[in-house]
Amino acid sequence: MLKYCLKRLGASVITLVIIISVVFILVRQMPIEGYFDNFDKLDPAVIEATLQKMGLKDPIFVQLKNFFVQLLHGDLGTSVRYRVGAPIMDIILQKAPYSIRLGLSSMALALALGIPLGAAMARSKSKFWDKFGTLFIVFVTAVPSAVYHIFIQMYASEWFDLSMIYRQEDITSWILPVFSMALGNVAYYAMWLRRYMVDEMNRDYVRLARAKGVSNKKLMMTHVFRNAFVPMIQYIPSSILYTIGGSIYIESLYSIPGMGGLLVDVIGRQDNPMVQAIVIMYSCIGIIGLLLGDIMMGVLDPRISFAKKEGAR
Amino acid sequence: MTLRDKKSAALFEFAKYDSSAAEKGGYSNYSYWRSTFQAFLRNKAAVSLLCVLAIILAFTFIQPYLPGQYDPNVINNNPQTGRQLVNIAPSMTTTKVEVPEGTQLYGKAYGDEWYSVSNVIGSINRRTNMNVVEYGEEFCCVEYEDMVGWVMTSYLKLPDDPAAVPYETMSNYKINVYMDPVDMTNSGTELYVKADLISLVDEATGLYETTQEAALRIIPSTDAFWFGTNSIGQDLWSRVWSGTRTSLLIGFAVALTEAFIGIFIGVIWGYVRKLDRLMTEVYNVIDNIPTTIVLILISYILHPSVQTLIIAMCLTGWLGMARFVRNQIVIIRDRDYNLASRCLGTGTFRIIMRNLLPYLVSVIMLRMALAIPGAIGNEVFLTYIGLGLPVSIPSLGNLINEGRQLITSPSLRYQLIFPAIVLSIVTISFYIIGNAFADAADPKNHV
Repeated sequence: MLKYCLKRLGASVITLVIIISVVFILVRQMPIEGYFDNFDKLDPAVIEATLQKMGLKDPIFVQLKNFFVQLLHGDLGTSVRYRVGAPIMDIILQKAPYSIRLGLSSMALALALGIPLGAAMARSKSKFWDKFGTLFIVFVTAVPSAVYHIFIQMYASEWFDLSMIYRQEDITSWILPVFSMALGNVAYYAMWLRRYMVDEMNRDYVRLARAKGVSNKKLMMTHVFRNAFVPMIQYIPSSILYTIGGSIYIESLYSIPGMGGLLVDVIGRQDNPMVQAIVIMYSCIGIIGLLLGDIMMGVLDPRISFAKKEGAR
Repeated sequence: MTLRDKKSAALFEFAKYDSSAAEKGGYSNYSYWRSTFQAFLRNKAAVSLLCVLAIILAFTFIQPYLPGQYDPNVINNNPQTGRQLVNIAPSMTTTKVEVPEGTQLYGKAYGDEWYSVSNVIGSINRRTNMNVVEYGEEFCCVEYEDMVGWVMTSYLKLPDDPAAVPYETMSNYKINVYMDPVDMTNSGTELYVKADLISLVDEATGLYETTQEAALRIIPSTDAFWFGTNSIGQDLWSRVWSGTRTSLLIGFAVALTEAFIGIFIGVIWGYVRKLDRLMTEVYNVIDNIPTTIVLILISYILHPSVQTLIIAMCLTGWLGMARFVRNQIVIIRDRDYNLASRCLGTGTFRIIMRNLLPYLVSVIMLRMALAIPGAIGNEVFLTYIGLGLPVSIPSLGNLINEGRQLITSPSLRYQLIFPAIVLSIVTISFYIIGNAFADAADPKNHV
């Protein structure tokens, strides 16, 4: 187990180093305007001098080395357009709690809704819940989330008299963002849980239990559901990745002052160091999420090993 | 001929071929593809959606050649006033309205010949809901609040074409009248009066007055805009279809490229044993990066255009396909028939093309069918965060993003709803058809 964890950790670190290097080199290809607050008014000599000072004239690998040294000191550089001269680390630390709270609560909600839905679908095969759930899953997976999020924001805020944008003091303004963000994962969990439960229901031990006279309800809860839930664990890491993608959209839609909204903001302003820092942050979160998910999977189901995991995602 | 002969003659007739009975015995006289299509045609929902999709697809190409279509990028102006026809509500016909005799009108000058009447007794500078308080034979009396908050009433002549405005529902029907032409939320009910019918009142304020009969029209005086116009006066109908064309182009291009690269790399990965370990490690590294992030980063670096969007999406999309093809190839490459084939000296290329890939057709098709709605969705997402196509290239993402900015005013939501409906129909169709086809083509479901 320890060996597996260490190996997995090593792979993650290598991945992270590669991602950071690639992101860094790619962002260096951007036009230099993105490093100045007022590019048009500046004298070419000043631009040259500033670039020199920022170390952007060095060979790319020297820059990369410097960047890694900075990173190890917890320094992500400074913002040049979004908030001139402010250390990016401070900005992100300010914003991150909102994103984390939103992401965690939406994932909790997704589990709380998706698992009962999947179980209900498996139990009422081709009756109401199954049909309803299938319709829901098809809709949520087929229609781009960008579209139904807008409609939820537009109509749900009217019908239930909720705020269209996030307000710090108003707890009810959380409802819509958390709910919209959970939808994709609800469909995802429900779909897989239903599939695994239906698979389990065709097993021999279920037939035996039924022959023994175990009530349907008890059979479902203690036998089928438990066994079907173990393989579900492997989808939690992927749903972390979903949540990251969703947060970028939801946060900017509801003006939540988190990292996702910030990314959209700085892309609009072409603030190169900020874009680079946030992209790296998100990749980190994604990698850590996958790492934790895989280790959790290994703990819960020792049969799964690093080598066998391959078919998971 | 005896009875016995007759009986035995019947015994020696050929049994009729019964396909369902034959299937039970594991025999079929049809090919794999015929069986696939038969299974697919049995799925009614998928077939009807396929028809819908085919019609939409054909229509996106036919639409520009239909008579009376607007150019998606031309800003339409009112022929009389030269002003942009902004935010005109969707309608199938244009209507003409006359003002009743004796109505008092105040107007501001626009051009030489025509005056736009900015209000009907009193001043209405804002968008106002008018309540109909009384219906006459040819006019209706409306009540509204003016700027100061006073409740005013005025008489408006009813449209000649009752079908266009359902005023039969007399009790509580509301007419939205947007009087001030400067108001950007103007929704097409501008009142115009001939200049020579207006007598000058006050030169300093630029207000004119008439007590004469005047011609009032509901713009547009051009052809009707079926889906209305957007906030700068472009025809939404043609923009929606042009946008669907762009989005489908992106979708198909991404799906084809993904399939091509994915199959190519997947086959090498699966078939060449020495590469397997290395490529699996590389895959594990790349797969850890959230695709959204890659998409954003690549689009951020490249300048937005149709090609760069396609490139950005393909860069992440082929991974899943390659992985899948590899897994399948590893499973079937060492089956006996492949071994036999190799022993007989079949070339590697031929083994791959003839022995391996046909096994994967169903799932490759499924992934391609799902890649199209995925690509369309990604385009919407990228447009939203400001990395999409320029507005001069209409796409569903562009249109939805433009419409999204207007959701706070309910009367303009049609600008979001029309593209969203088309987009949902297209994506849901692809999803369901893809799944139905994969089910039908899955060799496990065949005899």
